[in-house]
Amino acid sequence: MPLQYGFVFDPSKCIQCHSCEMACKSWRDVELGIHWRQVKNIWENHYPEVTCVSVSVACMHCVEPECIKACPEEAIQKLPGNGIVIVDKEKCIGCRTCLDACPFGVPQFGEDEKMQKCDMCIQEIEYQNELPPCVRACPTQALLFEETEEERKKVMEQSVQALLSR
Amino acid sequence: MPKNNKGPLTYEEALALSKKTRQTVIPTLCGMCGPTMGCGVYAFVKDGIFTKVSGMKESPINHGALCAKGFVAPQWVYSPDRLKTPLQRIGEKGEGRFREITWNEALEIIAGTLKHQKEKYGPETLAMLSPAKRSYSDYLYRFLIAHGSPNYGHSGICAIQKMFSFMYTVGGNLRGCDYQNADVILIWGRQPIYSGPSQGSARALVKAKQRGAKIITIKPSVEADGGFADIWVPIRPGTDAALALAMLHVVVNEDLIDHEFVDTWCYGYDKLKEHIQLYTPAWAETITGVPAGQIIHVARIYGKAEKAGIDLGNGVEHAPSANDAIRAVTILIAITGHLDRPGGNLFPPSGEMPTPKSVHLRERYTREWVDKLVGPEFPKAFQPFVEGTSSAYYRIFDSVLTEKPYPIRTIIAPGTQPTVSTRGSKRVVEALKKLDFYVVADVARTADMDYADIVIPLATPYETDHPFEARGNWIMARNRVIEPLADYKSMYEFILDLGAQMGYGADFWNGSMMDSMNDQLTPFNMTIDELRRHPTGIKYKSMPRTYENYREFFSKNSPGLSGKPFLPHGKVEIYNTTFEEEGFNPLPEWREPPESMTGTPELVKDYPLILSDYHTSKLYTASWQRNVPHLREIMPYPTLHIHPDAALRRGINNDDWIIVESPHGWMKVKAEIYEGIRPDTVMILHGWWQGCVELGIRDFPILDGGANANNMYSVDPDKAFDPLITAMSSQTLVQVRKA
Repeated sequence: MPLQYGFVFDPSKCIQCHSCEMACKSWRDVELGIHWRQVKNIWENHYPEVTCVSVSVACMHCVEPECIKACPEEAIQKLPGNGIVIVDKEKCIGCRTCLDACPFGVPQFGEDEKMQKCDMCIQEIEYQNELPPCVRACPTQALLFEETEEERKKVMEQSVQALLSR
Repeated sequence: MPKNNKGPLTYEEALALSKKTRQTVIPTLCGMCGPTMGCGVYAFVKDGIFTKVSGMKESPINHGALCAKGFVAPQWVYSPDRLKTPLQRIGEKGEGRFREITWNEALEIIAGTLKHQKEKYGPETLAMLSPAKRSYSDYLYRFLIAHGSPNYGHSGICAIQKMFSFMYTVGGNLRGCDYQNADVILIWGRQPIYSGPSQGSARALVKAKQRGAKIITIKPSVEADGGFADIWVPIRPGTDAALALAMLHVVVNEDLIDHEFVDTWCYGYDKLKEHIQLYTPAWAETITGVPAGQIIHVARIYGKAEKAGIDLGNGVEHAPSANDAIRAVTILIAITGHLDRPGGNLFPPSGEMPTPKSVHLRERYTREWVDKLVGPEFPKAFQPFVEGTSSAYYRIFDSVLTEKPYPIRTIIAPGTQPTVSTRGSKRVVEALKKLDFYVVADVARTADMDYADIVIPLATPYETDHPFEARGNWIMARNRVIEPLADYKSMYEFILDLGAQMGYGADFWNGSMMDSMNDQLTPFNMTIDELRRHPTGIKYKSMPRTYENYREFFSKNSPGLSGKPFLPHGKVEIYNTTFEEEGFNPLPEWREPPESMTGTPELVKDYPLILSDYHTSKLYTASWQRNVPHLREIMPYPTLHIHPDAALRRGINNDDWIIVESPHGWMKVKAEIYEGIRPDTVMILHGWWQGCVELGIRDFPILDGGANANNMYSVDPDKAFDPLITAMSSQTLVQVRKA
């Protein structure tokens, strides 16, 4: 079975420092108002037993991407070989159907009104043997990057989805 | 598979990356926060533009990690809020009308004024402010000493108050605790996650948690640390001393005491035992709002654990009982056997790296010098303390208004914003209006520059090649990333040039920063050029950690003129005879904040909630950097953390604009419905005033109607300050309603 690139997030190590988010914005010159990666705090229980959990979420580059199924223009594709999900801005008509379909709320729409999101820094990885800057930035290794099997990647998708729906 | 999946960049990897992307890479030190040495970074420059930052793997401070602030340095450097040229005020104070002048004109005007005032009123009428220890702090001291003034204005809200109480109780500074070995960690009034998230403490907390240490967090509200805490002790702001006294009550009466240590190394335990009986957990519950049962529970966990540490933060330094809170905690550490033992609170380690030669001119201090302090931060008998002689930041402004014991005539604000950094903003503004001469030196617009007579535009640390920095076992030269974007000088060059202009050139290396750095590097037997040849600096060996260094630390001499030991009995000063001789209480006591639930119950009807503010944030350094759009997007507006129950009762929804009113002032801010806060308490980040041009957010007013927490607090000289260490209160009572 072919391997795919994937983000692995460990909420027990995340300190909500937003470094991954800022590394993404600054290394990729992401326009103002747009977030390819976001760190969120989720409260659990109530005072005085209240506690919290963190999530850092970007495009999960899902094994079976809902956005691809939903897109009426076939503007989104999953690259063979590495599983990275990318958007063809020429084809995108900005209908936002993908946003409704995405279980992680990932698709973003900026000034050009086309869908944009994390492309896993494919250039850095493929051509420069680098880690995505978000992963490189994490002070506690809460965010990792790996080449993994589909089954494990699906488990990661489910765990981030579970965090977001708490 | 990526072949190079190794994490942060080394210098070689950064060079390779820069080659592939047609950029240049400059190893340097981050300049986005203080104090002193920043994290190691690689700065990337494309076509002459500073574009990106990455962490330096070789740096022993950040090991290649970087925080949110570190990444956005280019936006800060290129901000439209940068000052462009020296300015001279031509309008009324506060009006904001200036004319552009040259550096020479600016230096001549400042030097002319200082010379005149020195002759007419005495050199001590000059004060320089410093809210935090900076790498340039000793240069400020050097200027003051060369000029003849002891009035370095230290703000009494950060680190030094804690250091004072630690040192006069156990002879050494107990910064942090032994996260590596502790089974129990009390995070008390501190945020290890946001205080340098790319540095040691956040990583240490995560590792401790992963290996199963019990984490207890003591604070009025939790942030991300709430997710790591096994127990949250939700204490009312400013009542740490009461909690610590009650914990002493528990460990003393339940005999959770290391008697061998107490018998050998403590002075006055029997007096404490008697004294502490007043402070029962039931008494503390009424003041702190923490149930007595939880106080007993936490005291037992701490007292019984062999390896337990207390990470005490700056939060405890913001109350009129600060000294007693810190002392009581220090005594708790000592008598339960947790001082300088594995997993406990440790004395600072030593290493093989030499100490750079100081530029302070400490050898010139005299008794007469200390006597001239306009508003001593610590009583004169304790001056100079470790950083030098100091007047309390706020007292400098007070002297302008009261003219007692004499009025300060010139204030230089180098990288500090008094209207948003110290309490009593209304008094500060009054003082700025009355002040003879005010100089602001900063990289960008400041909150109070409209009151300045002269404004000095400084280079950012990315536009300068100095100073070198040394911390722990690491020394590294700062390298220039880009040429200054306008007619800038660094803070160092400003001080050196002003020194030369004043005729103090012999004390200021005749204006040469290169000579200054070479002078300081004498103990290293190298020049700055030689140091610069090590792109990622030089790392020295650390000594193997030793414990129970009591003989060494209990015999240390104080830096005061008397040179007396910190601990006159060579033991932990549980009963503090040094404080007693100066007229202060020898044993820790409880003192109410100027306004509180239990201290001023008559105010509770009109002002039913307690207000305090956060000292650190994950995004901004103090009152700086609100102008950086990437940071501002995440936290665009000043928000008051309010518990859902308190919000519901007032019909307040998330993101509503609200009015927060205390007996001293009011703010208009946004509500953030916040689960992790006491329902009787509301909290806000301090330092809000600045807008963000790129996001179309305008400045907030400094005084009423703005978002400045400092405007909300009492500055009553009898109630709002710690009587010994001048710590300033950041608690009051407020009413909150929809705007």
